This record gives sequence, C-alpha cells and structure tokens, in this order.
Amino acid sequence: MNHSQTSRRRFLAGAGAAGTAALLSGCVTSTSSSKTSSKGAVSLQSNLSAPQAKAAMQDLVAAYKKKGSVDLNTVAAETFRTQLPTYLTSANPPDVYTWYPGSVADAYARKNLLLGLDEVWDSPDLKRYSKALHTLCTSSSGKKVFVPTTYYWWGMFYRKSNFAKWGVTPPTDWDGFLDLCDKLKSKGVAPIGLGAGGNTAWVASAWFDYLDIRINGAQYHRELLAGKHRFDDPEVHKVFDRWKEVLPYFDPSGTAVAFQDATTALLNGRSGMMLIGTFFADAAPKDALDDIDFFRFPVIDPKIPLAEEAPTDGYFASARSGHRDQVFDLLRFLAGAEAQEIYLKGSSGTALPCHPDAKDTGTPLVIKGRKHVAEAAEVTQFFNRDSSDALQPTADTALTKFIAKPKEINSILTDWQRDAQKIWGA
Amino acid sequence: MAVLTTDARRTTPVPTPPRGRRAGGPRRTPPLVLAFVLVPLLAEAVWVFWPALQGFYLALTSWDGVSAPRFVGLANFREMAHDDVFRTAAVDTVLWLVLFGGLSALLGLATALLLQQERRGVGFYRAALFLPVVFSLVATALVWQAIYQPDGVLNQLLQSVGLGSLRHAWLADQDTALYAVIVPALWRQIGYVMVLYLAGLKGIDPALYEAAKVDGAGRWQAFRHVTLPQLRSVNAVVLSVIVIDSLRSFDVVWSLTRGGPYHSSELLSTYMYSTAFQSLRLGYGSALAVVIFVLAFGVIASYLVRAFREAD
Repeated sequence: MNHSQTSRRRFLAGAGAAGTAALLSGCVTSTSSSKTSSKGAVSLQSNLSAPQAKAAMQDLVAAYKKKGSVDLNTVAAETFRTQLPTYLTSANPPDVYTWYPGSVADAYARKNLLLGLDEVWDSPDLKRYSKALHTLCTSSSGKKVFVPTTYYWWGMFYRKSNFAKWGVTPPTDWDGFLDLCDKLKSKGVAPIGLGAGGNTAWVASAWFDYLDIRINGAQYHRELLAGKHRFDDPEVHKVFDRWKEVLPYFDPSGTAVAFQDATTALLNGRSGMMLIGTFFADAAPKDALDDIDFFRFPVIDPKIPLAEEAPTDGYFASARSGHRDQVFDLLRFLAGAEAQEIYLKGSSGTALPCHPDAKDTGTPLVIKGRKHVAEAAEVTQFFNRDSSDALQPTADTALTKFIAKPKEINSILTDWQRDAQKIWGA
Repeated sequence: MAVLTTDARRTTPVPTPPRGRRAGGPRRTPPLVLAFVLVPLLAEAVWVFWPALQGFYLALTSWDGVSAPRFVGLANFREMAHDDVFRTAAVDTVLWLVLFGGLSALLGLATALLLQQERRGVGFYRAALFLPVVFSLVATALVWQAIYQPDGVLNQLLQSVGLGSLRHAWLADQDTALYAVIVPALWRQIGYVMVLYLAGLKGIDPALYEAAKVDGAGRWQAFRHVTLPQLRSVNAVVLSVIVIDSLRSFDVVWSLTRGGPYHSSELLSTYMYSTAFQSLRLGYGSALAVVIFVLAFGVIASYLVRAFREAD
C-alpha cells in the first residue's frame, strides 16, 4: 500500500472528511456529551512504531489482558501526529493515546478534548510520583490530564573508546568545550555531529533549547515558546552569538543527513560527539552500547539554574471515551511499577521509569542518566513539547537556515517571529 | 401496445408519430442501469464533491483542526498576497512545470521516436525506460536520497572521475535542492510520456510518410509536417497529464526535502501540506488547495477548449 501518493483530490477529500468529522462531532457534543456504553475493549492508540518499542507495547498489552480487555493499535509516528486532532474530535474516538504531557497536552485539555484523570491520580502509585511530574501532568485549569510512564534525557553523547584514542576528556564549561572541539578538529574528526537533514530537521532544536536554557534560563525559554517573548529579542540574539562560536566545529554534512546517519558517523568515529536523546540507542549495535557515554551540555552562565531536557512520555485519554472506568483501570495499571518494568525490558532499555519503585535496566549509562536528570534544578521537555507541534516547522526553517547562513541572523529571527505569530494567532 | 406500434410502422411507408410510445412516456430506464449510475454518483458526491465543497468553504475560515472553524472571509487569500513563502512556492511550481513538464515531454517524445521502430532488442529498452513508472515514487525517492547523500554514489562518482571539487550536499543546499529533486521525478515521468507518444506514433498511417517521401521530404520535414501534426491529439493528453502531475507533484519532494532547506524546494503542494498538517493552519492550507485547483483547472480547461476548437 502506498500512503504517500497524495493528490489534490485526495487532499480535498481528506480535509473535507476531517471537516465533516469535526462538524459531526460538534453535533455529538452539543447533544450528548456523556456516552455511557461500556461494552467492548478499550482502544489504545500508540505511535510507538519502532520495532523494539512496538514489541514492548505488545508485551504490556498482553500483561494487562490478564485483568481487562484492551486493543492495541499502532500507527506510524508521523501519521499519528497529523491525525491526533482528528482522533480527538471525532464522534467515536479511540480511548487512550500515547503522547506527551505539558504544553502539548494542555492545548488539547483547554479545548475540553481530554478526560479528567484526577481519580486515577488518587491511586497509591501515582500519589508517590515526583512533584515535578504532578505539575507537568496538570492542565492550566488544575485538572490532571496525563499519566506519565517513562522519560529519557538529552546530552552530549560520545564513544568512550574514541575519546581515549584521541586523548580527550569531557569538558565542564563552555571554554573547555571549545578546547575539546579544537583538539578533535586537529585530529581530523568533525567535532560535532548534528543530523538535521532528511526528515529530522527538528534535531537542531535541541541546540537552540540548550543554549537558551543555559543563557536565559528554563523559565525564559518556556515563556518564549509560549509567545510571551519575541524571537527577535536581544536575549534570543545572545543564543545565536554563542552558537556562532561553535558553528565552525559542526560536521559540514550536519543538515544533509538524518540523525540516524549522524549517529552512525558518531559510532564509526567520523564525528566526535552529538547532542541527542537516548532514543538514538535503539538503532545502535548492541556491542557499541557499552561503549557509549555522555556529558552534560556545558554550563555557560553559572548564575543560571541548571536545567536539562528530559522529555516525559505517557498517556492521555479522550474526553469522549465511552469506557471511562475501563480507561481509568488501564491507566492505573500503566502507572504501576510492574507495567513500566515490562516496557523497559521489552524496549531498548535506555529510558527511565516514572514510578519511584520501578527498576530501570541498571546499566552504567542509565544510572548516570538518572543522576543527570535528578541533579537538574529544572527540567524542560523539548521544543515542540514545550510549545506545540505546529511551531516546530518554524524552528526547523529558522535553525537550518542559521546553520547555513549565520550572517543572516537578523532577517532569520524576524522571519521566525512572523511565522510563529501566525501559529500563535491561529 | 408495443406490438401494435411495430405493426403500424411496418404497414405504413411514412412512420406515424410514435403515439403509443409517447402515451407510455419515454422509454423506462431499467432500475439496474439507474442504480449503476446513481450509486457511483452518490459515492462520488459523498467522497469527492461534498469534501471538495467543504474545502472551498474551509478556505474562507481560520481553522486549527480542533476548534470550530472561524469564518474570516477572504483573509487567507489576502495573506497569500504578502506571503514570501507562497511566492517562492508559486515560482518553484512554475519552474517545475517548465522544467519537469517541458523536459519530460521533449525527452519522452525523443525516446519514443528513437524506440518506435521494431528492431531487435527494442522491447528491452522500452521496458527499461518504463520500469521507473512501476515503482512507487516514495521508494524511488529513498533510492535517490542514498544517491545524493554527502558520501553517496553521486559524490563518489564525481570524486573518482576527478571532479571532487563539485562534491555537494545536493539536497541540503538551497541552490541545488529543487533541481536535485526534479531529476528523479523526470526519471520516472519520461517512460510514461514515452508510452503515450509510442501509442500516438503507432497510430500514424505509414502511407503519409510514403507520400512525403515521394514529394521529396527529408526526415526533418517529414517529422515537422507529418509526425507533429498527427500527434496533436496525443499532445493534448500529454499536456493535461503533465500539468496535473506537475501541480500535484508532492511525494517525491516531500520524501526527499520536505520543501526545504528553508523553503527552497517548496512547491504549492508541499506548502499546502505543511501549512495544513504540520502547522495545523487548515484554513490557509485549504486556500492554497483552492489556488492549486484553480490553476490546474484553468490551464487544462483553456487548453482543451482551444484544442477542441481547432479540431472542429
């Protein structure tokens, strides 16, 4: 089957069908907003379509089936993302979804599309979750709308054996980082891999996020992404001034290859290090996993409270679900230590469980990662999760253009602000 | 009744007005035939016409896909007038139409002329040229992505023939991205256009060429005065196909560059998709779809009207 032969006619049909669905669902909400039918299995819509993650979800569902009925429906990540608004606004939506907490979930909650989960958060398991997670999963109206299950971290990843071969050590501050880049360059290695080409331009946002939270702090960063500051403000210019200092050390093919190819270059020793999330390990060969290490993105201004990017994953449910009690039961199960261990065992195992009692995979990398996040004063999610999926393309354009034409930063930031305003105003 | 009328016709030399038939009304269409017409019409109406009308309506709204659409009149079209990216996409689409359309028509015709004569092995070459049509464009794009990679086949080839200075990140450079994307699209389209022209060439009466030869026409004159005029009806089909394919070209661009880097390979179709489904501005996306529709419809309708007028 070919999903991508999109023609104008099919687009119109799709857009129109979505419109019809919205109209129909509009009718449904105005007439009956409480469906009481509770027959049939709970449907669980998952975007975890990578082979290991999908297998882990199947293990999880198999475990739950001993006590309740649930149907897992795995959808390709890109399709899932573009279809999510349609799912949530349809008259007969899937019940539970894999997705992200924070700003992204709150946007749906504000439109009354998410099921209130306060009852689930009353369970003994969730009561013990960290305060930060409590806040992250609460909507702006004060309702719990999300159940977190795992999180992972971003950092500067490298191969221990390569660093030893080159005779370099991880830096702690910005000057040390620049020294390291110089040394790597003198060895004929591209110091910094990127991987913002192909279909993964969003990877470049990690550099923007980190420089901004190191220079202006996490609070400013979140406000900026919420539209409370402008992208052409002097504070944002400072971010790019710093970025210009390291730009000569970036792999020249950084915007030409996808992150999967960039991590291959990292593992092969063609590039020295990469700012990336642990998910890249899914594609790494098993024997390379023990050789992978990371260091904290260098501190630039010691006065700024230390923040790290540690995106949380989990579930929310549709407000129109006809299986309210069964959904609560499933979510309580997913929030439990046992379920999270099942998932980590089945997947690549580089994520961390949200439940305080759940055991992680215990590798040195994971232990270090847990400490890395715990030491942070603040945790950010990621560009699209702290803002919205709709804002991400504006960042992709601005940042890839900056990497190619750093001198045009003034017009790039003006354009970025203009594009972002259209999204915020939509 | 019917028998009587037939008898009456048989006996009188001048047929009487078919009164019997008129009395019974026009000949009844059998319900089965009616169903064969109405059911597809209904399906078409529900799945195509109604959504298309909805699309026109959505073009007049601001809609994020979640909240109810908000009517904004012609604001989307006004915004388009000042939208740099729209302008880039429109220019790129015209460039695409000229380069992709023009080259595929020219090269398709050239290969058809080259391969029209039945010689040994010509079938192999025809099949080889037609083969890319069979592959999905998304699969094609993935192969070409590997070719264009910084350490891909193309750059290695350039290096090995001593043209290492031309090595390039073909898809990541705004100066080359659009042209790099046109190549796989052409690679696929030429075989298709060739087949259309081959069919046209087969339909030309050989007597015309003999007559031209007798009149002393050279090969060029025969081509100019016999082949080209005879291909007029095929040209209409090829032009329609090319215009439609150019305006809906999406898959190959989306798979290779997603319209980037920074909109340099943006077509109207990719801009429409990214605006609607990535930036979730479905109202503006629908307005772009309307523009594409008007362009395609306008070009094709005006050409067809002219073509038919000439045919008359």
